[in-house]
Amino acid sequence: MKVKVNDAELELKAGTSAIDAIFAAGYDVPYFCSQEYMSPIGACRMCLAKIGAPRKDRDSGEWIIDEQTGEPKIFFFPNLMASCTTAIMEGMVIDTLSKEVKDAQNGMIEFTLVNHPLDCPTCDKGGACELQDRAYEYGAGQSRFVFDKRHQEKHHALSELITLDRERCIHCKRCVRYFEEIPGDEVLDFIERGVHSYIGTLEDGLPSNFTGNITDFCPVGALLDSTSRFRGRNWEYDHTRSSCLDCAVGCAITIDARTGRIERIKAARNTQVNNDWICDGGRFGHEYVDADERLKTPLIRRDGKLTPSTWEEAAAFINDKLADLGAKETGIILRADATLEEGVAAKALAAQLETGQLDHFPRLAASVIPQGVRATLNDVATSDAILVLGDVSEEAPIVDLRIKEALKGVTPPELMPHGVPLADLRLKERMPRQREILTVASPYRCDLMKHAGSTLTYPAGTEVELLASLLQAANGEGEISEEAAMRLGSSPEQLNDLLKRLSGAKNPVIIYGAFVLAASEASNAVQALAKAVGAKLLAIGPMANSYGLEALAVLPSHARYSVQEMLRGSAKALIVSGLDVAKDAEAAKALKELELLVVHDSFANATTELAHVVLPAKTAYEKEGTVVNLEGRYLPLKPAPVENGQSEDFCGLVKFLGETMGTRLEGRSVRSARRLLKKRLQLDLSELSEEGYLSPAKAKAASKFKLKESYELEGNLLLTPSMIRHEQLSRNAHLHAVYGDAALRLNPADAVAQDLNDGDVVAFELQGIERQAVIKRSEAVPVGLMLLPALPEQPAALLWLEPTKLIKAAVAEVLA
Amino acid sequence: MIELETIRPFFEDKKELLAEILNRYPDYGRRSAVMPLLWEVQRSERHVSEARVEEIAGILGLHATEVKGVMSFYSTYHEQPLGKYHLQVCSTLSCSLAGSDQMYDWLVEELGIVNGETDRDGLFSLQKVECLGSCGTAPVLQVNDVYYERMTRSRCKEVLAALRRDELPEPWLERGGDNVSAEKAQIESES
Ligand code: SF4
Ligand code: SF4
Ligand code: FES
Ligand code: FES
Repeated sequence: MKVKVNDAELELKAGTSAIDAIFAAGYDVPYFCSQEYMSPIGACRMCLAKIGAPRKDRDSGEWIIDEQTGEPKIFFFPNLMASCTTAIMEGMVIDTLSKEVKDAQNGMIEFTLVNHPLDCPTCDKGGACELQDRAYEYGAGQSRFVFDKRHQEKHHALSELITLDRERCIHCKRCVRYFEEIPGDEVLDFIERGVHSYIGTLEDGLPSNFTGNITDFCPVGALLDSTSRFRGRNWEYDHTRSSCLDCAVGCAITIDARTGRIERIKAARNTQVNNDWICDGGRFGHEYVDADERLKTPLIRRDGKLTPSTWEEAAAFINDKLADLGAKETGIILRADATLEEGVAAKALAAQLETGQLDHFPRLAASVIPQGVRATLNDVATSDAILVLGDVSEEAPIVDLRIKEALKGVTPPELMPHGVPLADLRLKERMPRQREILTVASPYRCDLMKHAGSTLTYPAGTEVELLASLLQAANGEGEISEEAAMRLGSSPEQLNDLLKRLSGAKNPVIIYGAFVLAASEASNAVQALAKAVGAKLLAIGPMANSYGLEALAVLPSHARYSVQEMLRGSAKALIVSGLDVAKDAEAAKALKELELLVVHDSFANATTELAHVVLPAKTAYEKEGTVVNLEGRYLPLKPAPVENGQSEDFCGLVKFLGETMGTRLEGRSVRSARRLLKKRLQLDLSELSEEGYLSPAKAKAASKFKLKESYELEGNLLLTPSMIRHEQLSRNAHLHAVYGDAALRLNPADAVAQDLNDGDVVAFELQGIERQAVIKRSEAVPVGLMLLPALPEQPAALLWLEPTKLIKAAVAEVLA
Repeated sequence: MIELETIRPFFEDKKELLAEILNRYPDYGRRSAVMPLLWEVQRSERHVSEARVEEIAGILGLHATEVKGVMSFYSTYHEQPLGKYHLQVCSTLSCSLAGSDQMYDWLVEELGIVNGETDRDGLFSLQKVECLGSCGTAPVLQVNDVYYERMTRSRCKEVLAALRRDELPEPWLERGGDNVSAEKAQIESES
């Protein structure tokens, strides 16, 4: 459609909003209520423009002509229009520069400021405030309001994470709409009416995993991230765009640091991955970086004590030991969120030491690279039939939001010259959701089930059976029997409906996580099922770079050199990065026997206790590098200026070691690693775009799935992935205040049987690892099952735990 | 263990009424039942407590916050129990120009309560409200569901005295500047 904005003529798609036409033409109007990815509602009246269009004669169907110009006559609307809720029409004329519009803008700014406290000098948003900017650009600079302003609460804790200043709120409704439209939980609303309205909730502390996003887009300083309140002004922060490493999604983030400390993390935009959203785990989980006890210098054990040293000395120490030992016996273990560049460095070091004992962890039984057609997150958002196996909301929180996007049936917006449209008219408040396209299957009742048309709680460990039954039926190799379906907590109708839906859909997607990846049969079965019904696959690996490290083959040369074996004596010397492997009592025993234990970590732990050399490691926010997310997308990491002493990433470690060995190893720096990767991938990672690069899928033949009698997946305790990184929880004060200590969740009936009450603290040993948890009764957990958050050292799995082994920790012990 | 006294759900013994209300709306519009449900509770309990808000949210599959948002928007619903006589003083322009502010001040003085409060005996509640749609006969005082129009100081005294005797005087309706008896107003409005 042709439209004219002031003097610019442009051609735009029907359905575009007038505000987007204005921005596409390179003009500007102020706005407060419109927000990308959310419904336009025309609430703030700030985006007013003078709008007109030609009209056709009713009888003749011809354009009505202006006698004077001979052109179609423009009929202007009698009032100024909110450009965000006005769709363009053929020949529309939009004027944003006339006196009439200017007066309206002045007036609206004056109205908005009537009850605004104007406490900019003490407001965290000062300098980055939309109201400040707009008042400056479009206001008259004067107020005629001489009366008392409205007074309301200025420090209202909506939760431990978010503080609301009710005086500053300008009632744009972005935050209210956000909760209903994006996570789909209306936990925030306007209370009262008119001038008395304020934002509030009856829900205890905003129960949602995605609350922090409202602090990003609140146009004023009303909603603030409690972790960074009063800590700095926007212009004082260094803004570093990077990627979050807290799960396999790899959301775009902006790290705001000041004087060497991370003050806050904000969501950045990646239209392919996370749109404008991140989860609370990723946003608020950074406080540990600044903990006092952070390791910042290399330490060497001398006379039984770890003593401060330098990298050169430490490298020389290691080199001497390795020379005595015969380097072949060395094992190298990386955590699965190490970057690709660190992976290259580790491989180069392994090659130099001629050892095949190299692995990353956590790594589950099955490959995280689906064999079959991979789904992207945008595929998920545009899917018309989704099967989810597991608890994605915890495992990869943004996948949860992308699924909810699909339920709206509105495809991701096409980008305009100014980026994501400001007012996508296809989005509405309280849109009907097509829940029927979503099926969620999990061993316990999980959050996403509230939004699903069909839900299925199968007994933990029966993933293979479930998938096998579906596969058989899909291949026409056998009906699903009543009995079999019952055993799976389902019915033949439900399973048949699911199959029909998947095979009848245009773009079906199957999403699976740790519970399926824990067994290679289950993984084979899901791939075979996807093939049978023509679905794409999205596998959620255990950590941020599980995909990349597997693709790069940071893997042992032989199964007998896996991490588990290295920790049980296959190696004589070990270099461990980022994992507290000595948590496991048996591994600790083996570690004590080692000739050399080098630990590369950011904090002291059970493993550093045993180490000969401790090397300070950079955290995820301090590294330069690349990770590959669950879609197979290469995403860039950029280092924020954080005070971290002599911390180095694994490339740095390899650099120092190489230097003492007298060689220049590949991967001794990010640059050198990238040179190698460029040859290998035909991709220059130093030029990776902000939105990353989706690697082309390599078609691999799916492994055949063979049905067996039994799969011996049994247990009563399920280690579950969680949005919160439990290993750092005690150092993340704000998150800890909201989520508390790790919980052992069980059905109330079981709790009664074991005489356990909510809040009881229990200690127990789980596969050699001492765990402590708080009892939480929950109807979401089926009778006979217990849920406990997984740890990097103890990834998702189904295990046995004698309930009698749950020992209530004495209160004194807990306090100590 | 101490068992907290549980509040009996309001709609527990009103299954038919509940079904009737829910039936007025199609499934996808269930949310709309929020108004009649709130009204049932307000009418019978003279306020809507948080427990009731949660109950209604549960019935409709909403978050309590959403129900609270609707409830607090309307001055019809109250968080605290209302007194037996709910005095609503219109404070919008027409009434204000015709002296409703003085009427309000006088009532505050007389009753010892201000906007939004209920007296100790639970007899009176006082509230400023927006236009009652009776601007032509301003100022207007509404007591419970009854209108008293073109109020004057003496009429106000009269009404208050009656209420204190626990009598609700006949509505005081006027039209077009003429005094109209209650019956006549009734007849006229019906014809
Ligand atoms: S709190 Fe912020 S986002 Fe929410 S309505 Fe007020 S100004 Fe808008
Ligand atoms: S969804 Fe994953 S990658 Fe995104 S912010 Fe959360 S933890 Fe980080
Ligand atoms: S009315 Fe708020 S942006 Fe248009
Ligand atoms: S202004 Fe009082 S009834 Fe309308």
